[in-house]
Parts: sequence; C-alpha cells; structure tokens
Amino acid sequence: MNNTVHTAVEFLKVTKAFGNVKAVRDVSFQIKSGELVTLLGPSGCGKTTTLRLIAGLEMASGGQIMIGGRDVTQLPATDRDVSMVFQSYALFPHMTVLQNVSYGLTMSRLSKNLVEEQALNGLKLVGLTGFEKRLPSELSGGQQQRVAVARALVLEPEVLLFDEPLSNLDAKLRRRVREEIRDLQQQLQLTVVYVTHDQEEALAVSDRIIVMQEAVIAQQGSPRELYESPKTRFVADFIGDANLVNGQLVSSEGEMGKLQLDELTIQLPHLNLPIGEVTVAVRPEAIMLDPRPEATGIPGTVHKAVYLGSHLEYEIKSAVGELFVIDPLGKEFIAEGHPVRLRIRERGVNLVHD
Amino acid sequence: MRIAKRIGALMGAMLIGSVLQAADRLTLYCSPQIEWCELMVNTFEKQTGIRVSMTRKSSGETLAQIKAEKSNPKGDVWWGGTGDPHLQAAEEGLTEVYNSSMNSQLQDWALSPHKATGGRTVGIYMGGLGYGYNTELLASKGLPAPKCWKDLLNPAFKDEVQIANPNTSGTSYTTLATVVQLFGEDGGFDFMKQLHQNVSQYTKSGSAPIRAAAIGETTVGIVFMHDAVTQAVKGMPIQTVAPCEGTGYEIGSMSIIKGARNMDSAKKFYDFALTADIQSMAASVGAYQVPSNKGAKVPKEAPDLDSVKVIDYDHAKYGSKDVRTRLLSKWDNEVSTLPR
Amino acid sequence: MSSTTLSLSRRIQLREATPYLFRKALLLWLSVGWFGALVLPWYQAYDGFWSFIWIEDGWPLDDEYSPGILQIFMQDRLWLLPLMICIGLPIICFGWKRDDPRLANFLMGCGGLGLCWILLQGFVIGLRGWNSEAFLLLLGSPGPSQEGMGYGALLVASCLLFLFTQGWSLRGGVQGDGFVTGAIGLNVLLVLLFIFYPVVKILFSALLNEEGALAPILFFQKLTSERIWQLNCFNTGLSCGVAWNSLYLAILVGITTTLLGLAFALLVTRTSIRGKQAYRAITLLPIITPPFVIGLAIILLFGRSGVVSSFLEWAFGIPPTRWIYGLPGIWFAQTMAFTPIAFLVLVGVVEGVSPSMEEAAQTLRANRWQTFQTVTWPLMRPGLANAFLLGFIESLADFGNPLVLGGNFEVLSTQIFFAIAGAQADQGMAAVLALVLLGFTLTAFWIQRRWLGQRSYVSVTGKGDAGIPVQLPKRVRTGITLVCVPFGFLSLTLYGMILFGGFVETWGYKHNFTFKHYLDAFAVSWSDKFGLMWEGTAWNSFWTTLQISAISAPLTAGLGLLTAWLLVRQRFAGKDVFEFITMLSFAIPGTIIGIGYILAFNVPPIEITGTGIILIVCFLFRNMPTGIRAGVAAMAQLDPSLDEASLTLGAPSSTTLRKILLPLLRPAMLAALVFSFVRAMTAISAVIFLVSADYDMATSYILGRVENGDYGLAIVYSSVLIIVMLIVIGGIQWVVGQRQLGRRGSSPISWSGNG
Repeated sequence: MNNTVHTAVEFLKVTKAFGNVKAVRDVSFQIKSGELVTLLGPSGCGKTTTLRLIAGLEMASGGQIMIGGRDVTQLPATDRDVSMVFQSYALFPHMTVLQNVSYGLTMSRLSKNLVEEQALNGLKLVGLTGFEKRLPSELSGGQQQRVAVARALVLEPEVLLFDEPLSNLDAKLRRRVREEIRDLQQQLQLTVVYVTHDQEEALAVSDRIIVMQEAVIAQQGSPRELYESPKTRFVADFIGDANLVNGQLVSSEGEMGKLQLDELTIQLPHLNLPIGEVTVAVRPEAIMLDPRPEATGIPGTVHKAVYLGSHLEYEIKSAVGELFVIDPLGKEFIAEGHPVRLRIRERGVNLVHD
Repeated sequence: MRIAKRIGALMGAMLIGSVLQAADRLTLYCSPQIEWCELMVNTFEKQTGIRVSMTRKSSGETLAQIKAEKSNPKGDVWWGGTGDPHLQAAEEGLTEVYNSSMNSQLQDWALSPHKATGGRTVGIYMGGLGYGYNTELLASKGLPAPKCWKDLLNPAFKDEVQIANPNTSGTSYTTLATVVQLFGEDGGFDFMKQLHQNVSQYTKSGSAPIRAAAIGETTVGIVFMHDAVTQAVKGMPIQTVAPCEGTGYEIGSMSIIKGARNMDSAKKFYDFALTADIQSMAASVGAYQVPSNKGAKVPKEAPDLDSVKVIDYDHAKYGSKDVRTRLLSKWDNEVSTLPR
Repeated sequence: MSSTTLSLSRRIQLREATPYLFRKALLLWLSVGWFGALVLPWYQAYDGFWSFIWIEDGWPLDDEYSPGILQIFMQDRLWLLPLMICIGLPIICFGWKRDDPRLANFLMGCGGLGLCWILLQGFVIGLRGWNSEAFLLLLGSPGPSQEGMGYGALLVASCLLFLFTQGWSLRGGVQGDGFVTGAIGLNVLLVLLFIFYPVVKILFSALLNEEGALAPILFFQKLTSERIWQLNCFNTGLSCGVAWNSLYLAILVGITTTLLGLAFALLVTRTSIRGKQAYRAITLLPIITPPFVIGLAIILLFGRSGVVSSFLEWAFGIPPTRWIYGLPGIWFAQTMAFTPIAFLVLVGVVEGVSPSMEEAAQTLRANRWQTFQTVTWPLMRPGLANAFLLGFIESLADFGNPLVLGGNFEVLSTQIFFAIAGAQADQGMAAVLALVLLGFTLTAFWIQRRWLGQRSYVSVTGKGDAGIPVQLPKRVRTGITLVCVPFGFLSLTLYGMILFGGFVETWGYKHNFTFKHYLDAFAVSWSDKFGLMWEGTAWNSFWTTLQISAISAPLTAGLGLLTAWLLVRQRFAGKDVFEFITMLSFAIPGTIIGIGYILAFNVPPIEITGTGIILIVCFLFRNMPTGIRAGVAAMAQLDPSLDEASLTLGAPSSTTLRKILLPLLRPAMLAALVFSFVRAMTAISAVIFLVSADYDMATSYILGRVENGDYGLAIVYSSVLIIVMLIVIGGIQWVVGQRQLGRRGSSPISWSGNG
C-alpha cells in the first residue's frame, strides 16, 4: 500500500511536565513510515508518556510533535491520525466484538455497509472471523488482545501505537502474539510505535529501538546496534546482560582506542572518552574461559558453575572483579574452585559512558 | 434517552400551562390557616376574575421574605397574621399607604394601627389573648381550675404550662407586652419570672402550646383565645379562659406591599377583604376571631369580647422596634436565664 | 489474510472530517448567539421564563420585549454594544485556518471579554439604576436601569462561554478538547453563580448591621455572644450555648448511628439470620421519609400522652413525663433517621473486608474473636470514622426533628431559622450562626479528607474473592441481634403509627377510623363539564413537587456525573478549589441557602425567585455533591483506558461520555437519579423560602399543616409521598435490574454523604 517512505512521527525537543516533575525532557526523534519502533526502558523512564504524547492523550508542555508531516502539537487525540492498543486492551465491555471493531469507523461517518465490511476485514486479519457476536468477556486473553489490535488497525492510522500489549498474557502466548504483531506489521507495512519494558520483546519485534532513561533518550538504533555497541552503562546493562568492569584507556587513534584490561589489550571504538579509567561492558558470552594452567589472560577462579542444558553459566572471581560468563558450547565442565584464565572476544566488549 | 423525552414532555406541559395565563393577577401572601386563605382566594377569584397566586407562610416568614425581596417585590398584598410584623414592615417602609373607602365601616380598634402607621396597615380581625387548659388532665391531676393570669403562678402548675418563646412568636410577645401593661414593667417581668418556674417548654410557634394541651402533652397553653376555641370546636377537651385581670389582644392585619406590581388588584383585594360579607365567612373555616367590619357577623363560638376585660393595648408603642427589642432582650437576660 | 481492502485513499477521506466539524460547531454557537441578540427578547418578561405572551404582546418593538440589538438603538442601552461586537467579530475566523495561532487567542479574547462584560453590566446596572454606591456618587443618580436577563442574554452568554472555552482548547488547554473545556467552563460558571455567589451574599450579611452598613464590631459581638458559647450547663442548671448543644448532639448522634449502622451491616452481611432483605428495607425507609414525620410519630409513642407512656402508666403506674422533648428526643429521632446512612456506608465497608484476610488470620491460629478483634475491626475502622462524620454532619444540618422535638434544647439549625423567620427577624444573627455551623461542618469535612482521605477505601478487587465471610463470634452476634431486633421493631412501630395516624380523626386523642384526611388532601371528583377535578387541597403542591423533582433529578444526576468526570478524568488548574466550592452547598444549612438564593436571585441580572426554576436550581446544586460522589466512586472502578481508547479511535469526548461511560455508569447514574429525586421530594429547610404561590412544595405544605396542628393531613400527605417514592424507586430498580451488566463488578453505590 503505502510505498513511499516518509517521516510518520517526529518529535522536536518535546518536553512534558507534570507539576515540577518532568516526565519527558527535550526528546527528539523521527519515525519513518513502515517502521516498527520500540520505546524501551524501565518503569518511570517516560516511555509511556512519550507514547501518550504521540496519541494526544497528553499535551506537550514544550516542543513540537509532527504526525504525517502535520504539526499536531495542539491537536486532541480525537483529531490525530493515530490509534492505540492499550495494555488492558480497553475493550468496551458492553459492546460485541464487531461493535468494538466498528467503533472507530462509525465515528468516521462511513456508510453502514462500509463500516461492517471494513470491520469484518479487520477481524479476518487477526483471525477472529466468527467471533463477531461475542462480548469481550467471553473471549480469552489472547483473543481480546487481537480484537484490540483489529479495532486499532481498521482505522488505517498513520501510526499505530502499542502500550505494553503483551503484559497481560502468559509467557507462551506472549511469544506467539508478538510474532503475529510483527507479521501483521510487515505484511501491511504499518508504522508502529511499541512500548515495552521487556528487552527481549523489544529485540524480537523492532526495526529500531529507542531506549529511554529518566525522561531522556539514552540511545537509539537497531536491536543489533544496541546490543553490540551500547553507548552507555545503562543501555549495556538494560539490553541483554553485561559485565561492567573498570579498565584503562591508554591511547586513542581516530575512532579506535586501546583498552588495557588487566593483562589484556583490546582495540575498540573509544567514544571520545578521555584517556584514563573507563567503564567497560563485556557480554557474558564474549568471555572465553581457559582452564589450562599454561593459558594466558586475566586470572580468575570459578566461583559457581551451573549446567543448563543448552549452555553453561559460570560466576568467576577475577582480577577485574566478579564476572558472569555464558559458555554456549558447553564443551567441558569446569569445576567450582578451579583456576581459569579469561580472554575476551572483540565483538562483545564496549566502552560505555557512565 | 427516554428520560430526556419525558423532561421534554414536562417542559412542554409547563409551557402550555403558562401561555394560558390570564393577564389580571394578584400575588397574595397569606398568614392565617390555609383553609381561611383558600376561602379568601376562591371567593375573590370568583367575584373579580382576577387570578390569585397565594403563598401561605407564617407572619415571621412572610416578613423575612418581604424584607429579602425589598429591592424587587414579588408580592402584592399581605393578608392576615398578627399585627406586630405588619407594624414592623410599616416602620421599615416595606408597605404602602392606602386609604380604603371601606375604612368607615371598621371598628375603631381596626383603625388604630392604620392611624399609627399613617395608613400602611389595617386591622382585619381581633383575637383576645388568654389560655386554654385540658379539662381531663386538670381533673386527673386534681389541679384547681385557673381563671386569672396569676392563677398560673401556683406552684401546683409546675411543668404544666406552655407558652411560646417571645423571640420566635408574636403571640408570646403579645403576652409579654400584655403583662407589662397590666402589671407595670417590673410587675410584668416578675410575673414572667414566676411563670418561668411553671413553664415546661417555650415552644417556637405561637399556637403550639394549645395543640400540646389538646393532645395532653401539657395542661395549660397560653395562646390567643380563638386558637383555643378552634381546638374545643374540634372536640378536644379544652376549656378557654379569658384571664380575670384583663388581657391584651392582637389585631390581625393587612398591608399592601410597597412596589406591588398589581397595585390595582391589590387595592381591590384590600377593599374586598374589609367587607362585612367576606369577614362573616371566616367562621365556616374554623376561624373564630372577631371581624373588624362593624357589619360582619361575629361567630357564635368566638370568645365574647364584651364580657372579656380588654386592656387598652398600646399597639403603636409595643409594636415599635425599640420597645420591642428592649423588652425581648430584657426577657432574654432576666427571665430565660433563670434556673428552674 | 489480505490487505488489499485497506486502501489509503479512503483513509484520507475520513480523516479530513474534523476541522470541518470545528467550523460547523463554531457557526452553530455563533448563530445561537446571534439569534439571542437579534431575535429573542433581551430582558426577562415579568410573566416568567416559560411565558410566551411576548410573541403577541408588542415584540419586537416594545421596550420590555425588544431583542438586544434594538435595545441598543431604540432604548439607548449602549452598554449592550460591546456584547454585540464580541459575538459579531468571530465571523472573520471563518477565513482562518484551524491551526492559525491567532484563532485561539482571538476566540478566547472575544469570549472572555464578553463574559466579563455581560456579568459586569448585569451587576452594575440594576432595576433602579446603578447598583453600587460608588457609581452613584461618581456618575450621578440614578443612572440607567434594566430588568433581569432573559432568553436573549442567556443565549448570548452561552455563545460567549463557548467562544472562550473553544479558544482555550485551541491553545491546547485540557488535552485540546473543546467539549471538556466547554464542560469545565459551564460548570465553573454555574458553580460560581449558583453556589458561590449566594453563599457569599448571605455570609457577607453577617458583617452588616441592620441599616446595611459595615459593622465589624457588632459582628464580633454576635460571634462571641454568650447565647452561642456559654458553658452554664456544666456548673449550673442552665442551658449551654447553642453551639455546644449542636456539637454535643451531633457527637452523640454520630456515635449511635455509627454503632447501629455497624450492627445492621454485620447482621446483614455476616450472620445467617433470616429476613435480611426485610432488615435492609426497614433501614431504608427513613431515607424516603419526609421531615417532621419521625418526630411526630415519636411524640405519639413516647410523648406524655403517647401510647407507650400511657401503657406504662396503666400497667406500672409510672407517671408520664416530658422526657422526650429536648436532647433525648432529638437524639432518638435523629438516630432513627440517620442510621440508614451509616448502614449504607458500613455495608460497603464490611463487604469490602476481604474474607481471605480473615481466613489468613484464622490459618495463623487466631480464633473467631481474635480474628474479629485483630483483623476485621481494624480494617473497618476508617469506614467507621467516615460513617461517624456523616452522622455528625447530618445531625448538625437537620432541621425538622429539632423543630418538632426540641423542647427547650436549642440547636443551631433551628436557631438560624428563627433568627430569620422569628419575631427578631435578624438576618445578620442568622448569618453569624450559619458561620458557626459552617465552621463545624467544614472542620468535619476537613478532618475527613485529611485524616481519612486515602485510608477510608477498603480495596475490593474485581477478581472474585473465593473466601467465605467468617461468621461473627457468638458474643458479637448475640449483641447485635439484641440491638437490631428491637430497633427494627421500633422502626416498624413508628411507620405503623404513621400509617395509622392518617386514618384516625385526631391523632393522639380521637382514634375513630376516618378517611376524612385523605379526602381533604387527595379528593378527586368527576364533573361532566370539566372532566376530572383534582379537588383535594394537596394536589397542587403534590404535582408541583413531582414535576420539580422529576426535572431536577436527571439534571442533578447528569451534572453530578459530568462534574465527577471532570474531577476524576481531567486535569486542569484550580481543580481543588473547584471541588471545594461544589461541596460547599452541601455543607451549608438549607435555611441559609434559601435566604441566600432570595438575596441573590430576586433582582437582576438573574431574577428567578417565584419561579419553578429557582427550586430546580436549588435542588440541582444542593444535591449535586451526592451525584458527584456516586460518579467519582463508580468512575474510579472504570479503567481510564476505556475513554482513551475511544478518543484515539476518533470519538470526540462528548461521544465517549455518551457511548462508553454512560452505559457503564448506568447503575451509578440511576442511583444518583433516585437519590436526587428523593432529596428533592423531602427537602425542607431551603425550600421554605423559595416556594411561591405557583410553585408550592409538598414539604412546605406539610410544614404549614404541622404549624397549624393538622397532624392528620400532614401524616396523610407524608404517607402518600413515601408510597410514591417507593413506587418510583421500585420502578427505577426494576429497570436497572433488567439491564445491569453482570460482568463488570459494579458495587452498589452508597447513598452516603448528603446534606
């Protein structure tokens, strides 16, 4: 359908204050059409407020919000070309499934036939044909969720918003539904903004992730960028697991710098950090353990070892501190108390801002 | 919604009702009992074709209302109720001067408030003050039958007398003023102080004591005699007493409200209310006051004022604000605070 | 799955609709304003709001009936000109785009200035010239004059309000929602005009002496007067000041109503006693009982010649006394009357104590008594405090019972009435007493909010609580049965007396059976000429009462819910102040409101005394707090995402309110409806001063009868009112029962907190 790529949502230095508390501070970003962008962060970071600012359920205290190239900063929710899937689904309990899905269409004053056609289409898209006459209370959690999606979808909004849509589902369903959402988004080329606090969910569904922390954007990028090169300590820790240790940046040349971590020297982007002590984020799976006595690397001892079938997990006491290590190969079980040497793969280590 | 429709229907009904209103109107504030008020309204409407809107409120409430409405009066005539509030209204300039052609037919006492206020109010009936007692209770308690004011001071009557609070009731203020005129100010207050020992309750409403006596809640109730008669006529065991020392009286009055919107209708009603025929009808609704028109029939149940010693009650003096406020605060400070 | 049917072109079509709608709304409201200014009579005709005589009686050229525009040019009322400009100028907006920044400010300016001006000119230029002394001195006497505002002014004011709120929403106020800003604007204006203004007007008169001049010293003397504050009852045989009496009584009543209410609540929810429904019904009766009736029935039972007293004398030779008059009687009557309110509050509280908590306590080896003592009781404590405060406030405001049973025991509410309507006629004193009363009630409210605000809600989760309520320990059960059964019996006896009283010739004396009172009040006859004739003397006020109550109830429920919606779901500056003022009319005794309304609305610009409107308005704003509470409680249970979902689906907030919230709030709405109806039917204190010849109310008629000693008629009328209310409530409940949504846990709305 909509093949020309354009900017669907744009925030320009948007601020939202509740009294003296700023829930969102000077936030700017762009979302392209057909993109699924996740707002990720711990609770209270401002991600939901950001979503509600897009929806028009909150009014910005400062800055400018554009949707589809139009300034909507002062426009109420009703007049914005967005629709939203709520955490609680917010299905109208007194209306049937079909009435729920038709609701938005009716507001647009389409002819009755067209409304019904479009609504049935929406239900078909989410695989709920045949459920039209049911009341929301007669559906399972997953089905309710799909009705909520269908209801938002049929309006073909410029941008579709999801507020933690999976949080009320059990773990198994969650996986399936998030895939369905992703499929639907890909298939219909929808622009989606998705809020979650679950990093795994974010990595799984997103084209791009915006990580928020304390009312500002901590970092944005593709899931891979965020995982592989987190820019801050917070992002490194929040997305995936990371061992945060101290090292010495000894020199820098161009983009790259030389990091001294105990006995190891690693080449990596220096992020314009000053020479001297720096924080280093090391992914657990990037640490390689060598139990051989002749091995080189950072010296340490296995404090705890856990066998998990697909992989092994270790806790190592080392010269740079306590480290959490995942050994996916599980080639050899190292007993607790055994001394080891550690080496680090370059793709799993990053300097981060504090 | 259906509710909305119903409201619509009601409003519609109100609209139609109001469109049909006639042009000639009168708003009457009426203070005696409702049956009498309704009789007056119906008769007046029948005779003149003027549509009357009548509100019945006690004379105190009516005065409060007229005061509140001072800057934009809504009422035309205030008919009935004890004379003092009428005098007060006249004093505050809330009522209008009117010299009715009927004045010549009136008793002298009816014209005395008229003269005192320069024509702002006129008497329509007279009621003598007195008291009534419950004959059954009196007998069962073995109490002597009281005949005079001073009989009520007998300690045997402890907690057997009720009278209204003069602060809230015109009737009771009339009593206070009466004993002051009978026994002098000091003597009068002595009387009230001694009476205080026997009073079980100062009621709010002036006629409440006799109703309490009728149903046996108290033995003696100090009220206007016609109120006691009403109870007796209803068949209650009430004996009406005209005190032997003599007694005061109220002049039920009528005033035209200043700035009345239907002045012509108001004057018509004023004249109408003073005619003999109309005043003669009062007894048919249980109002046994003495009418003010010389030609009107005095109801046979009415206390015969010829045989009652009526004092020369100075309405102008005791109706004036200063005297009234002074006596009331004196009563408040010297009588009501006494222990019992 | 196919996506071909979802096409872009259609979308664009749908989404352009709104700006167009905005323009249409603007045009609509402007035309309303223009219609008001150019066509309808500007001033209120003397014949009343509903009178349409003007159509044939000289309109549009006659001075009295001219529309605003002609008033300016023919009657030289030039001060109306700015208003015309304010509603005329916005026409240039149609050339502007919606997001033009000038638009918002321009509309706000026109609307705001216009509103200020219309109020200013209304208050400054009165019926007889300048209203303010300053103007009189400055500009010479007497100045121009004008009547009260009529249809024309009303429409123009509405139009101006809309312009202002629309501009406000365009500036992004309250989520940029025009409906919400409109609702807030309307609400604030109404609350200021019909609550704040009359209340200030009457309370200000406390500062004036009888000549109307400022007299702060006199005020101070009155405020500290011995009659209010003396403490003689503690050391001498004299009575205490009226303020102490009221306070003392209110505390006693608060305690007894709370304890009795709790006993009933426990009885109904925690025991397996039979006839629970009957107990519920009995406790509800006093709510629908007109004033005076309980007091009268008590006199007839316990008075000196009452049934019980006579029996005691006959059987045991106990001489009858007058103990019932005074504190004991009022206490007794108020306990009978207000226990149901405590019961309704406490039933919710007791039901809200989650059985699983009690079960948890029992698994921790607490026995029944210990469970009750350590878990159930502490959980109920905040609710108990709430019930106590309600009983306290109700007792302070009660007027009917002290009037009938007061004896020599003076309380503030009756003193206020007699200060105004008694022989003293001292309005200033009444205002001073009202201030004292207001001080007590506001303090009680303040304590309630401060101290209990957060704690008084026992959480009821929507999820089914599987536990079974723990049965009460035996001693508690025996205790409450011993209390409740006699109380229930007493209630029934009182109502039996009331019913019986209507059929005897003279209550308390001649007990022969008669229909006389019913015939006097409600006789109907058939004449060939006129058809059905309503001959009884009560019909007039009966129909008026029904009419006024039926009109005011839906308005009250509607405005209450709308306000609740604003308070719960919207954020705007000054919300706390707004909430406080809406609760103000509830805390102020009715007598004061009544006189305040006369003082405020007997003269232009708003002249509505003597009409039905003033009664409707009075009920509307006096009973609104209850509607607000019901709405707030119910709305708190609805997920806010529901409204937000509707908004993001493109429904304007007005539609959201109508299609989503109202259906879900139906039980709350109907509860508010029933309640406002009942309150309007039984209100007395404010009504006394507001009834007029054409609009007499049942309660004022009954008061007249009681004053006159016609207990028979008063009782007949009251029983008829009780039965009518039962029928209405039954009918409404039947309708709710049919339509209630069983799924969403809508707990019964408590009727608590009414004044």
